Amino acid sequence: MDSASFQFVAFGLAVALISNFSRSRAWRSTVLMVASLVFLALLARQPIVFLPLAGFLLLGYVGLVLLRRGWSRSIVWSILAVLLAYIWLKKYTFLPQDIFIHSPYFTLGLSYILFRVLHLLIETSDNREKHQVGLGSYLLYTLNFTTLVSGPIQRYGEFAGDQFAPEPIALGPRIIGLQFERIVRGFFKVNVLAMLLDIVRTDALAQLSQPLPASLKLYAAFRLCVVYPFFLYANFSGYIDIVIALARLMRLRLPENFDRPFSASSFLDFWNRWHITLSTWLKTYVYNPLLLALMRRISSVAMQPFLGAFCFFVTFFLVGVWHGRTSQFLIFGLLQGGGVSINKLWQVGLARVMGRKGYKALAQNAVYIAFGRGLTFSWFAFSLFWFWTSAKQIHTIFTALRVVDWLGVWLAVWLIATAVLALWEWLRALLLSIRTAEGPVLTSRYARVVYASALGLTAVVMTILLDQPAPDIVYKAF
Amino acid sequence: MTVSSAAEMEEPRLPRRDWFLMPLISLSTICLLALSADLLARRELGSTGTGLSPCLIASDPATGVRAIPKSVCWEKIGRSERVDYKFNSCGMRADSECGPKARSTFRIVAIGSSFGLGDKVNNQDTFASILPAELSQQTGRQFELYNEGILWGTPHSLSLRFNATLRDDAPDLILWTLTPWDIENATTVLPFRKSNFDAAKIEQMGSLSSPARIHLLIGYLAKNATPAYVSADIDRIRFMLQDVLYQSRSQYVKAYLMNGADEAGFLKAAPNAEWQARLKEFDGYASSMEERASSAGVPLVVVLLPNRAQAAMVSMGEWPVGYDPYKLDDELRDIVTSHGSIYIDILPSLRDIPNAERDYRLVDGHPDARGHAMIAQLIARQMTSGAVPAIAAAVKPQPGAGRQN
Repeated sequence: MDSASFQFVAFGLAVALISNFSRSRAWRSTVLMVASLVFLALLARQPIVFLPLAGFLLLGYVGLVLLRRGWSRSIVWSILAVLLAYIWLKKYTFLPQDIFIHSPYFTLGLSYILFRVLHLLIETSDNREKHQVGLGSYLLYTLNFTTLVSGPIQRYGEFAGDQFAPEPIALGPRIIGLQFERIVRGFFKVNVLAMLLDIVRTDALAQLSQPLPASLKLYAAFRLCVVYPFFLYANFSGYIDIVIALARLMRLRLPENFDRPFSASSFLDFWNRWHITLSTWLKTYVYNPLLLALMRRISSVAMQPFLGAFCFFVTFFLVGVWHGRTSQFLIFGLLQGGGVSINKLWQVGLARVMGRKGYKALAQNAVYIAFGRGLTFSWFAFSLFWFWTSAKQIHTIFTALRVVDWLGVWLAVWLIATAVLALWEWLRALLLSIRTAEGPVLTSRYARVVYASALGLTAVVMTILLDQPAPDIVYKAF
Repeated sequence: MTVSSAAEMEEPRLPRRDWFLMPLISLSTICLLALSADLLARRELGSTGTGLSPCLIASDPATGVRAIPKSVCWEKIGRSERVDYKFNSCGMRADSECGPKARSTFRIVAIGSSFGLGDKVNNQDTFASILPAELSQQTGRQFELYNEGILWGTPHSLSLRFNATLRDDAPDLILWTLTPWDIENATTVLPFRKSNFDAAKIEQMGSLSSPARIHLLIGYLAKNATPAYVSADIDRIRFMLQDVLYQSRSQYVKAYLMNGADEAGFLKAAPNAEWQARLKEFDGYASSMEERASSAGVPLVVVLLPNRAQAAMVSMGEWPVGYDPYKLDDELRDIVTSHGSIYIDILPSLRDIPNAERDYRLVDGHPDARGHAMIAQLIARQMTSGAVPAIAAAVKPQPGAGRQN
């Protein structure tokens, strides 16, 4: 149930159906609350394992109540308490082991609950009148089963706007059809595409440690570098497709989390397209306040771009660190923060050297964009080695080839990614240019029926007929 | 904005014709894909010819399944070569007749099930045909092998025919080739009837994980709700797709282990109660057969032929926590040697064979011609290493026995 399985989809569809029995917000909220509690109960049978999670939620709610009663000075302490409780419950490895609870307990979705709770605390502190969040609404928002496991990170205002609206948002046959198509697409991505890509990754990793000719090892290294970003995209965005569609069938709009990330022409652009709700959250609550605070202290105009680069570094370093509990994720954070801030400095530097107009012209040049896209992909792929491997695997991978071989592999990754992604963009544009009066043929409802049927059949064959185990949703672990 | 959300905003209401047209397009797409897959699967895996069934008597509970003497069957699968099954007048798979053995010849009688018989492998390529030549080459002594392997040659059915084997075949040594399947079906005498098989599967559901249970249930319903010819088509497509997917052994092993308490149970480091019961049943047959072999003065040698998943795990040298591909091997050694029989162990040698599982067919998990050659070499190496005293004694220089090759 905690993955993009048939059971999860069937559960979501059943909840959506029941939710639509009545348009009243009380009915829809009751159904969502019961469904979320049933969902939790299906994930863990012993009620006692939920105690830490319940304590965490209570802590957040107490903070909210204090803020609502005018204790605005408690905001810092509330945020600190919530953060410390989170770090303690997630058992970050830099803390002494003795302080942890050693019996098993439920932490699934805790990271996403953390973002929702912090968002509520900060927003309530800034604007008490706007968010009068009662206990029921608080639990409904934080435990919503469609966003519990892996997000997307929805803002309370958006959630409440749909969930508590006197008149729910429209849901006609056309929208229902689109959501079913999206569920099929998401299911295919997670259970077929991600599974096939994971096979390539597993086999390439195994081959790197085998006594094989150098050419085969180089090929295995190349596959290992390029396949994981696509796997992660299929795995995560597929799950997000499913939950967004299920929520929409319950008349609830969740924010988009992906926007064709591999089309990004720079690393800054990439983070506008990948895990959008996470990066937006951190830009809102880390980047913006930090930049404002620094600009208040350092008033030099010439320094402003560098302050921006520094704030980008801090923000995306935190993005990286959030992904795990071990020191390995510090490196992942450094690579994310480093990538984004260097990208920013490069833009600033080029603009200074070439002038604004010159830089703008360069940034619109197709060849520059293509190489930027290839480099963005390569850097992300490189940084992901500190995301999916263990320390032992990292050692095995990077000692399997000589340094010069690895440099060659990464150069090949960059050049081939540049060519392939440019070709893909060209092909996509070409296909979308075939139009009727209603729009591109490729996105017409008839074309969608064809590929949804094909993807659906393939997914059914893979999961039921072939009984193939698909990898778990990677982001549920965070 | 994604394609879907953009469309959600822009698309007008559905015209009435779309209520018929869109399901029709969906159905046509599915039919077209299914038909294409079926045509491709028929080309790759379509079976012609008789198969083995007409050569077998599969309804006599007093003997278990046995071959009809002097019968010939054949089959051809997809683009592979034709396979002939020829049984001699003694009902053994052989190109030559049975008869009294020459004085200088050491006769091995191999008993077992489909692995031993050489299912879907031509006789000259089976381990039973290759092993005597291997042994002769390594020892200089003349060996012959009578292949009593037969489909459904489970421990119970072999036990029923064991006295006749000892009496009629005049063996110098009995080689019992076991597979995990034989242990799983130790007490079975006649082939499963479909209803019994499905009932057994459904009974096992309680011990399976929730997803496995749902898959099993859907598979069961699909099988029972569809005519036999459709089931055969579905199976063919499944095998064709598995053939592609399982080029990756990690995926193959992962999928195989997902069977959980069912057929993959023997790979668990701590076999469940069901597997322990099966081992106990096997213990009874092993004891009884050793007793009779011992009375007849014939050494009984037992060897476990690994199945495809087991070969893959040993060859990879790694497996998930909670599993152990050597576990069954260890259990069988203990049982067999406790009764005084000889156990030879070919499993550890698979560690030195890269991608050993590729010598097995995906369709049914049986070894192909290369797999049989590999098994023959491994058995020969073990038999001549001194582990089998009867062979060691037999290869002592004998008057008139010249080294071949």
